[in-house]
Amino acid sequence: MVYPTITTITKLELDLDALIASVTLPSTGAAAIFSGIVRAKTERGKAHETSYLEYEAYEPMAEAKMRQVANEIRTRWPLVEGIAIVQRIGRLYPQTPTVMIICTAEHRDTGVFDAARYGIDRLKEIVPIWKKEVSPEGEFWVEGEYIPKSGE
Amino acid sequence: MRVKIFFFATVREYVGAKTIELEVPPQTTVAMLKELLVKKYPQMAATQKSIIAAVNSEYAADEILIPTDAEIAFFPPVSGG
Repeated sequence: MVYPTITTITKLELDLDALIASVTLPSTGAAAIFSGIVRAKTERGKAHETSYLEYEAYEPMAEAKMRQVANEIRTRWPLVEGIAIVQRIGRLYPQTPTVMIICTAEHRDTGVFDAARYGIDRLKEIVPIWKKEVSPEGEFWVEGEYIPKSGE
Repeated sequence: MRVKIFFFATVREYVGAKTIELEVPPQTTVAMLKELLVKKYPQMAATQKSIIAAVNSEYAADEILIPTDAEIAFFPPVSGG
């Protein structure tokens, strides 16, 4: 059985219903979904407001690394069936979904929650996407902390 | 040999270009290419420590040799999501 794996960088609005449908099989009984959303007000750390985020990606490598994240999920949680990893790029305003990770399985006790969590954590480590934050005070690039190893 | 180089995020802004092509000697490593670029674009020195390199879409440490017709990318730690 070949399970569906969707890995996409897109400038278009994310469609959660369509994405769930694309990883729903006759055997599917559970879908764990994570979505990142542009936050207008940040309280944690240095409190500030955000006007919008500007995303860019190194697309061929980003899609290859998303496939790698999906493969890592399959190795760790063999009961996960469908996987979708989709990142929207371009200018995204507060309350807009930016990223969606969906893992489906027959049942909820198959690791789907952990698998979706791993998907977003790993995307933030190795998938070459960046965002610039624009606020009333100015603009700055958000930089991650993870330095991938050769071939990772 | 000729290589194609892409820059992203802060590195793209420091360099002032999305992509360039460059002639480099055979047996050039990622570290040597970084040095070459910092000479060409001194602004890059500010972020040199946290610059990540990819060769043909794979993360590449300083000692990695650059193959012929490689597509290279330099960028800061990623921040998607």
